Amino acid sequence: MRHLARLLLVALALAPLASPAAAPAENLVVQVATEPPGLDLTATPASATAGVVFYNVQEALVKVDRHGKIVPWLAERWHTSDNRNYTFFLKRGVRFHNGRELKAADVKFVIDRAMNPETKHPAPANYEAISDIIVKDDYTITFALKNTTANFLLNMARQGSVIYPREAVDTLKSEPIGTGPYKLGEWVRGDRIVLVKNPDYHVKGLPKLDRVTYRFIPDPNAALAALKAGDVDAAMFGLGPEHIPDLQKDPRFQVIVGETTNDVIMSMNNSRKPFTDVRVRRAVTYGINKPEVVKGAMFGFGRVIGTNVDPLNPYFVDMSGAMPYDPAKAKKLLAEAGYPNGFDAVLKVAPQYYYTVRTGEVLADQLQKVGVKIRIEQIEWGQWLSRVWKDADYDLTIIGHAEAWDINNYAKPTYYFRYDSAEFQRLFKESEVTVDDKARRELYVKMQKRLVEDAPVVWLYIHPRLAVTKQGLQGFWKDLPAPAFDLSEVAWVK
Amino acid sequence: MRRYIARRVAAFVATLFFVSGLVFVVVRVLPGDPALVIIGAEGSPEVAARLRESLGLNRPILVQYAEWLSRAARGDLGVSLQYDVPVGRLILSRLPVTLPLTVMAAVLMAATALPLGLYAARRHRRAGDYLAMVVSQVGIAIPGFWAGLLLILLFSVHLGWVQSGGFAGWSSGLWPGVRSLLLPAIALGLFQTAVLVRATRSSVLDVLREDYVRTARAKGVSELAVLAKHTLRNAMIPIVTVAGLQLGQLMAGAIILESVFALPGLGRLALGAITARDLPVVQGVTLFVASTIVLINFAVDLLYVVLDPRIRYE
Repeated sequence: MRHLARLLLVALALAPLASPAAAPAENLVVQVATEPPGLDLTATPASATAGVVFYNVQEALVKVDRHGKIVPWLAERWHTSDNRNYTFFLKRGVRFHNGRELKAADVKFVIDRAMNPETKHPAPANYEAISDIIVKDDYTITFALKNTTANFLLNMARQGSVIYPREAVDTLKSEPIGTGPYKLGEWVRGDRIVLVKNPDYHVKGLPKLDRVTYRFIPDPNAALAALKAGDVDAAMFGLGPEHIPDLQKDPRFQVIVGETTNDVIMSMNNSRKPFTDVRVRRAVTYGINKPEVVKGAMFGFGRVIGTNVDPLNPYFVDMSGAMPYDPAKAKKLLAEAGYPNGFDAVLKVAPQYYYTVRTGEVLADQLQKVGVKIRIEQIEWGQWLSRVWKDADYDLTIIGHAEAWDINNYAKPTYYFRYDSAEFQRLFKESEVTVDDKARRELYVKMQKRLVEDAPVVWLYIHPRLAVTKQGLQGFWKDLPAPAFDLSEVAWVK
Repeated sequence: MRRYIARRVAAFVATLFFVSGLVFVVVRVLPGDPALVIIGAEGSPEVAARLRESLGLNRPILVQYAEWLSRAARGDLGVSLQYDVPVGRLILSRLPVTLPLTVMAAVLMAATALPLGLYAARRHRRAGDYLAMVVSQVGIAIPGFWAGLLLILLFSVHLGWVQSGGFAGWSSGLWPGVRSLLLPAIALGLFQTAVLVRATRSSVLDVLREDYVRTARAKGVSELAVLAKHTLRNAMIPIVTVAGLQLGQLMAGAIILESVFALPGLGRLALGAITARDLPVVQGVTLFVASTIVLINFAVDLLYVVLDPRIRYE
């Protein structure tokens, strides 16, 4: 026994000597919670895929920058005189990771492919307005639209519009090739993805890192431990708000708290009683104390909102105070709707997204006070997609809508909200063909007011961007106006 | 013996057939559509429908099963919907993590549980016995994932001796690989060790009460020989039975521990595949695990013959 104890002591004493040396400063190890379900941005809209590939490996003609503005990217400029024909002038000398130069024919191939239903692009609607694509020369390409489409440039900046070489189309899912600042080094499935510097990147001086390793650590406590043990340099997604206050006090780390486009909502099934009655939907909205929800479920991180449009959107209007917490009014509205004693409802949430369960628990407690008795049913994500999102088989549900510019969901009566307002649909249609910024803004304000009035869902809060990095790292985006995690400017301070 | 082996092989094939059919049906009747999971909530239902069609999920389930079975019989387990890689290759790529992890946990379990159980039985109703039982009770009471987090906190965060998670890979050397799996193996083996301590103690206690042990002692045989030759060997049959069952449970336990320690093993592959409704992978991993457990049981049965020559399978 004594021998064993001695051996253990010796082994424990030697263990630190065997620890690996610290990583060179040009490398970065980041933790992400979810492994991408494939790396093809033209096949999956998964944010885990975009977090690795979008902006880092593959890029589009135009880009939503860190301030939310659409800026020229692979195209050095664009021109339109009638808002129906857009001509893009490609940057010269941009090379794909396989060494070949990007030409206009590549752009045509990519967008033609996105428009082809056979390729199963996840968002073909983004290209429906295109009637023709004309390659004028190697560096000039014109898109002719069927009609004026206000979101055309935005659609060309989306993750599904990234440009890749046609010869790499069959390997996009596992070995994507693009023009981005990093090339795919390796993907060890289940463990990590390694990106390596693209020395021929078309933006001089970028990227600043030689190597980026994404480590998949799904458990938040394990992610925190990895950060504290120094095994990862940054935790990008996966740390909960409960971890932040402590980390903010820790001098080894810097905490980034920013805005996102992820609006967390509680949807009411507008086609199912009692939520068919607008008075009931308004009562539920008045029965919710949103600042308390943010405090209780998110440790105070997250911005209270009142409509769909997020604060990073140029047409954002702060409507968080439009239907403030008013339990007396909620009870009165319920009585008027024929529910003086309230009613029972089931709230379906997917625990894969931790905030949905926590938010649901706070909401259930608050709504009970106005007579709405909620039973929380936790279902797995695959089931949520089938039962709630596809079949609308639910009373209430909570989820974050991460997509930017997604007000169009309220104009689709078949969407899982089952919200069907002719007035809203008319306004949305008009906004889609209105390119004048002032007029479009007015339409967006009207749409938001309409939504507040109809209360098809309760807009709760914007899920905050919570990232923690080691001190000495700089260049991360504070806010996330696009579903990307741009690492091109990230560097260690010398 | 030959006839026995032939019977066991037939039973093995029948078990795999049954398991594969059961899993095939269960994963397909589960609510949740692989096409929807692939395109996510941002995609359109029309695209999901087209994807479902191209994945062949609209065909009758029996047709799908027959096709899968015929390919599986030829060693082709299909292609992962999520990774676009052959399932067989995926499973093989995860084995260098899960197999050593399970073996390390099993070795740890045997190396700790047998001496401790033996010691407790020898010190029956004395302080050593009570202490061993309290320790094993604690081992049973602590969930593996929590033990894992505590180990990470102590050895990675505070002491910085080992990495908090992830797998260094065998290509970087034997020690880095072993070191990555050390804490997970301890956490994984903790519960099973505690159970085996109790099983060993109980089995050894039964044998120690046997007349032949008393006779051996009366003949003046040394206590070490009494324990090693007369007691332990006779006590091994129930211990091996329990240990055999535990090996299967270790593989199941790896699912949670691989997530806590972010290890790219078979368990995490299975968990991710279930979440993503990656049916070919779920099917392939289940079949592999079922085969392994059947083989372990078979090995345990053969071990009985070695331990007790009176046992015959004819």
